[in-house]
Amino acid sequence: MRLRLPRRRGALAFFLAAAVAPLVVRDQFFLDGLILVLLWGALSSAWNVAAGYGGQVSLGHAAFFGIGAYAAALLSARFGQSPWLGMLLGVLLSIGAGLIIGYLSNRLRGPYFALSTIAFSQVLLIVASRWRGFTAGSEGIPVPFRPGFATLGLSHAAWAYLALGVAVLYFAVQVVLERSRLGYQLAGVREDEDAAEALGIASRRLKVLAIAVSAALTSICGTLWAQYVGFVDPFYVFSVDLSVRFALMSIIGGIGTALGPFLGSVLITSLETYLRATFSGMKTGFAGIYLVIYGAMLVLVVRFLPEGLVGLAARLRTRVTGPPATAAP
Amino acid sequence: MDAAARLGPAEIDVLAQLGISTVLLGSLYALIAVGLTLIFGIMRVVNFAHGEFLMLGMYLAFWSFTLWHVDPYVTLLGAVPLFFLVGLVTYTGVMRPIIHASHNVQIFTTVGLSIALQNLALVLWTGDYHVLRAWHASTVIRIAGTAFNLSQVIAFAVSVALTVALFVFMKRTHTGRVMRATAQDGDAAVLMGIDTDRVYRLTFAIGIACVGVAGVLVAPLYATYPTAGLQFVLLAYVVVVLGGLGDMVGALLGSLIVAGVEVVGSYLFGAAWKEVFYFVLFIAVLMFRPAGLFGQRGAETLGV
Amino acid sequence: MRHRVAALTVLALALTLATLAGGVSGQALSGEYKIGVLEPLTGPLAGEGKRHLEGYEIVRDMINERGGVMGKKLVFAVADAPDPTAAASEANRLITREGVKIITGTFSSRLCGAASEAAARHNVIYWETSCVDPRFNKRGLKNAFRTEIDATGFAWYNIEFIVKHLAPRLNIRPNQLKIAFLSEDSSYGQGVTESARQRAKQEFGMQELGVEYYNFTTINDFTPVIVKFKQAGPDVVHHIAHTNDSILFWRQAREQNFQFKALVHAGATGYGSPDFGKAHGDGANGPFALLEPGPGFKIESLRPDGQKLERDFRDAVKKRTGGDAQGGHQLAGGGLWVLKLVLDRARSDDLDKFRAAVTALDLPVGSMINGWGVKFNDEGQNANERVQHYMLQWQNGRLVTVWPEEFTTMRAKWMPLPAWDQRK
Repeated sequence: MRLRLPRRRGALAFFLAAAVAPLVVRDQFFLDGLILVLLWGALSSAWNVAAGYGGQVSLGHAAFFGIGAYAAALLSARFGQSPWLGMLLGVLLSIGAGLIIGYLSNRLRGPYFALSTIAFSQVLLIVASRWRGFTAGSEGIPVPFRPGFATLGLSHAAWAYLALGVAVLYFAVQVVLERSRLGYQLAGVREDEDAAEALGIASRRLKVLAIAVSAALTSICGTLWAQYVGFVDPFYVFSVDLSVRFALMSIIGGIGTALGPFLGSVLITSLETYLRATFSGMKTGFAGIYLVIYGAMLVLVVRFLPEGLVGLAARLRTRVTGPPATAAP
Repeated sequence: MDAAARLGPAEIDVLAQLGISTVLLGSLYALIAVGLTLIFGIMRVVNFAHGEFLMLGMYLAFWSFTLWHVDPYVTLLGAVPLFFLVGLVTYTGVMRPIIHASHNVQIFTTVGLSIALQNLALVLWTGDYHVLRAWHASTVIRIAGTAFNLSQVIAFAVSVALTVALFVFMKRTHTGRVMRATAQDGDAAVLMGIDTDRVYRLTFAIGIACVGVAGVLVAPLYATYPTAGLQFVLLAYVVVVLGGLGDMVGALLGSLIVAGVEVVGSYLFGAAWKEVFYFVLFIAVLMFRPAGLFGQRGAETLGV
Repeated sequence: MRHRVAALTVLALALTLATLAGGVSGQALSGEYKIGVLEPLTGPLAGEGKRHLEGYEIVRDMINERGGVMGKKLVFAVADAPDPTAAASEANRLITREGVKIITGTFSSRLCGAASEAAARHNVIYWETSCVDPRFNKRGLKNAFRTEIDATGFAWYNIEFIVKHLAPRLNIRPNQLKIAFLSEDSSYGQGVTESARQRAKQEFGMQELGVEYYNFTTINDFTPVIVKFKQAGPDVVHHIAHTNDSILFWRQAREQNFQFKALVHAGATGYGSPDFGKAHGDGANGPFALLEPGPGFKIESLRPDGQKLERDFRDAVKKRTGGDAQGGHQLAGGGLWVLKLVLDRARSDDLDKFRAAVTALDLPVGSMINGWGVKFNDEGQNANERVQHYMLQWQNGRLVTVWPEEFTTMRAKWMPLPAWDQRK
């Protein structure tokens, strides 16, 4: 019960700051960073629905991201349709894919489940990279930029507000999920599936549902990403690296919490951008240093903040508002 | 190119060659998978950095050869204690603090480790592709229409020996039994007086020693570069799951199956689809025999 | 302990946000002209990315010795772009934080699309020196220019070599030549191979025995492919390879005694990379790689101003790396030089003036580094015919220039390739 307070106030502060920032800060690079923070945060919170709330830690969510990216890019580049239509198509396809993977791996837990999702996303990658006639194969798809809202050709400021809108929406979805009956059932399934089954919860169906919803949400962001960056490359959009990224942000920020993915995104995206900007200009050959630092920091952050940033915030708050009945070590 | 020709002497040659390649490639995979199945099987940690330790083994072999003219098979002897030590240090510094944390935390710790190690190699040794030109990698053996090289045969021999040794170790020795008990039920193990921390430390160290050895053996056959681990790591996971976690012989058999699927699939349908074949096989096995082809039934529901 | 960690984390967060929100550093002091250089310096393409950066730096110094650009010293703001998101993001950073008006790079097709898009949205000039995606210039972007030929150009040269030079010496007519295509499966491999297949079949009626693609990051064994190819018995193997796979294939081809008459590749990776020669030593003898000119190149065959440039370039490379100029150096360096020519002419980085200068430039083959000429079309692409490419061959540990014959003192050997142990 207590944990809700920091989240609501923290969330309010976070989104308010994000809303005000484009008005105050004119720097395009900051805006670009903000857009990416919000987008990655949204993607991670989509992942969180399946993993944090549903307990199914997937490392193959890039499958849905890629579907969303390709659907919009293909519809837009090949058939001249609006990317919003592509987004809808992507959502439908991703739900289908989510149902398939959810059903196929229904009985699997933990690392087995994670590996099966990896396998699934890699199969999609290979199909996309080989299907030259349709997806242009490995060469990928350049996404045409046509100014206007219907074609998602927006200015940086407009993108920032769109990304913010999506982020707030996804945050709301998580909060609603958390407090709904469905959410409680999911929590039950997550904590102890056998016990939940014994209580009459249709755990298998719920798990598939969680993945399908998560897939749809991921796909939407895939479409947005494709329109923002302007190039869909199969080896990137279906990559394991991307799937790991979605998961990483939630874990760092606080898995199973609504604000966690966004906090995680802030930390990871900022850290990465900062390190890359600072170190890549160094003497040729030292470019990798920033990633060594990044990797080391990941290890440290994950170790010292196992409950993520949200957990940290909760602990700090407890410190401020007074110790609980049992003494902390 | 009509691959499905009738069986004449030329075709038998083809089959023989494919067969030999499968066995030799499979043994390489087994070398890499054996360390992973130990770590994954007993500690239930998805070690994303496994490929990077392999890469480090390759670099060890390469630099020893290039700087001091030490043959990789001599380096092998030194690699075992060296990587054992590396495993101990890595466990104590990186893994132990999070051993009781959630699996997500463990996974992402290894992700961080993987990124750090890959780029450390990049910074220290650049992205150039180094090749260890040992005499045995150019020594070609030709038997009955097939061809392969000496390095592959040695890797095969070591692979089988290692698998058997570990199998015996796990089944017959006290320590092995203790490790298996800890894998089956960590809490019960503690209650039985087992120092699980020691078990995990030993497991991890042995696992890393195995993959370091694999790296040294693989070095004469492939180019050495910072992202060399990527060539094998996903595949190693497929092997480990197919064979059953913690099962040595399962790892060997799983390796042969994966290699066979790759080789035959490449021959019949083209090398571009090779990964699809074993991923599809993987998903199929997970659907019908989730604990692996040789693993214990029900193990997949333990998962976490 | 937790207190400190928590405080540190918050501090780190604050710092990073502060940096992001910080001010623009803008153009440097007058006397310097800064451009952005975007290359993959980490990740699987790092090796090549680094070489490109080296090439840029070498020619930048040459430019500065000759008075710089527009009267100012040329300086770089370098950024790492390991993937498309980073490419777009770093392009944004270079533009908004470093204040550059021109970005150059990025070696890989998967990066140039995203980076040029990002630059377009800011109306910044994007000067591509290497990526081969044929669609790069077909997106209607007014800011995108490319000095290097695209994948179809590579394929064009390769088939040209095979038909005009190789086939006669093998005593085989092009329409009776049996060719097998092997290729890594990224955008580079697919692009070049598919174009090559098309030209081979449609223009010359070559007999295609098969096409095999593979993923270069996960290929572990070429035996199935080699067995298949052996059964088919090609004259020429057209192999577009990355580096680790070329090394593996060549070793296994020798092991399996896969005998073919010639192998042709294109580009600075794979058979065009010095690592291939180091890996196989004398055993590397034989394969051809389409590249920029290497040893044997008749600098005298260039025009006088071109000769001086080429000599200076090679000397500078030797001084910096101790070895011959590699493909990466030549592509990046050559491309940067063309940029200098344009800027000297335009005297401005305003897009319209720049475009005008680009289209006005007209130099014949042999005018500059690599023996290139310059003639851009309306879409910002340098013409195939002006960007002369050369076929190099591994001969005794060196990649030497063997074609076109008027540009080189060295000649192609081993046509057809003798048995594996007889290639001295």
